Amino acid sequence: MVVDAPTPSEAGDFETQDLLINVGPQHPSTHGVFRMVLEIDGEVVKDLVPYIGYLHRGAEKLCENFDFRQGIGYMDRTEYLAAHNAELSYVMAVEALAEIEVPERAQWIRMILCELNRISSHFMFLGAFGVDVGVFGTPFIYAWREREAVIDLFEEISGDRMMYAYFRPGGLAWEVPVNFEERVREVLASSRQGVKDFDGLLTENEIFIARTKNVGVISAEDAIEIGMSGPSLRASGVPLDLRKTEPYMYYDQLEFEPITAEGGDVFDRYLVRLKEISQSIDLIEQCLERLEAGPIMAEKMPRMLRLPEGEAYMRTEAPRGEYGIYMVSKGGNKPHRVKVRSACLSNLQALKQMSVGQYVADAIIILGSIDIVLSEVDR
Amino acid sequence: MTTDDGGNDAVEEAPEPPDTFEDTIWPDVNRTLTAVDVRPERSVLDLIVHIPKADVVRGLGMLKNDEALQFNYLRSLTAVDNEADGVDVVYHLYSVPNKFNLTVKTTLPNDDKVLDTATPVWQAANWLERETAEMFGVTFTGHPDPRPLLMPEDVDMSDTHPLLKSHPYAEIDILQGELLGHDRDADEGD
Repeated sequence: MVVDAPTPSEAGDFETQDLLINVGPQHPSTHGVFRMVLEIDGEVVKDLVPYIGYLHRGAEKLCENFDFRQGIGYMDRTEYLAAHNAELSYVMAVEALAEIEVPERAQWIRMILCELNRISSHFMFLGAFGVDVGVFGTPFIYAWREREAVIDLFEEISGDRMMYAYFRPGGLAWEVPVNFEERVREVLASSRQGVKDFDGLLTENEIFIARTKNVGVISAEDAIEIGMSGPSLRASGVPLDLRKTEPYMYYDQLEFEPITAEGGDVFDRYLVRLKEISQSIDLIEQCLERLEAGPIMAEKMPRMLRLPEGEAYMRTEAPRGEYGIYMVSKGGNKPHRVKVRSACLSNLQALKQMSVGQYVADAIIILGSIDIVLSEVDR
Repeated sequence: MTTDDGGNDAVEEAPEPPDTFEDTIWPDVNRTLTAVDVRPERSVLDLIVHIPKADVVRGLGMLKNDEALQFNYLRSLTAVDNEADGVDVVYHLYSVPNKFNLTVKTTLPNDDKVLDTATPVWQAANWLERETAEMFGVTFTGHPDPRPLLMPEDVDMSDTHPLLKSHPYAEIDILQGELLGHDRDADEGD
């Protein structure tokens, strides 16, 4: 939406000068260390230049120096809000190259954990986004409460709250606790209530709608052209969800439809994520019905993995979009090249297009609506 | 855990007929890329197409605009350093309407790492090419914004490219070896 109000330079015959505003890199609304330079005319953004790279740690280079299991830990540290999903792409790339068959139980548990991680990640978004919009307090604390329930469960399973390193090529590191199913159902019940709370707090909140509707619109064609993925793309009406379009693990056995919206604005990106939490709850319940006892690790896994020559670009649907691992093996126990395809990096490219012509205050919520994790952008 | 392609343990029978790639999208790709010297290759997941560097951007444009293929989504763009064999620039394409996947590869010799930019084909290539340029020393001619992306702007990185195999990361290696008190090379065995 281009703002209707005339900018000072258009309205009067007085002389104006565009102003440069630097936002970040250390700024609470940039969700990490992200810097953008705004060129503004009055209150309206004329140009936006993003600067990234403050969190670049060379994860791809480091992976080349470690064997296939050591790389898992680095994947956690790229996408720390959805580490299970990040690990998944990596171990699935190794499994594709080595042609490892993963046992059924391990697959179902992986799916449950990835969907739980999507719930915790989307709650994190809802809380942080509420703060961006200006409703500090209630939504943030509500979101934190729901996220905490999921994180506690992850801690019980893997021993860590954020950097799980629980998936292994071939299966899982160890069996889940005996009360796993019961605990998952508890978490789901609390998440379901959390979605209701958020729905009541924000979705029909007049002020929230006024702030977010028709702000930061991006069309489906532009979103595809820029390479956006995940909820940010689906909010523009493109039903591209890798769980549906290229089913991996057992997603083809589950019943669900990709959640889309039509408008492609900030509100739609919020709404798609809120609905995806409910969808994930539903998917986990379907997974729990199919979960049976069995082995959790492929048979005859060698102590040191050696992969044949080959390459694979393995992509999965992480909470922020397509998280891909391009792995090239030249034989031996280390990858020749690991490339992390970051969903946030591609989504962030759309920031300028979304923000130009909007108010400065809206540029902040547009950035929030993309839901970036800077350590995934910079790797 | 061996791959079947290459037939390393093949029984001595009649030689296999040449692979026609009929079960893949290769026939369509081959038809689209007229007057371009292309070579298909199988990989674990997607079909790989090798295109010479002079034709690669023209070929990518044809793949995007072809009615039957419509590769309108650039998933990823990166490079792989093959040391003596040069640098491969790799494009992962996706067709949203048709759900096709395709990997396009082009090889650049080490002494001439120059390639046309793919930004006119997909806007998505913009930042990905900036990253590839600084990490591998590939120059994308015609790029609208050829600044470094992740590397600091105040440090001149024009002659060092971190993801090349020749770029050292010895310090970490030495530090870890000393701290852990073991010889990394001795760990190589199973």
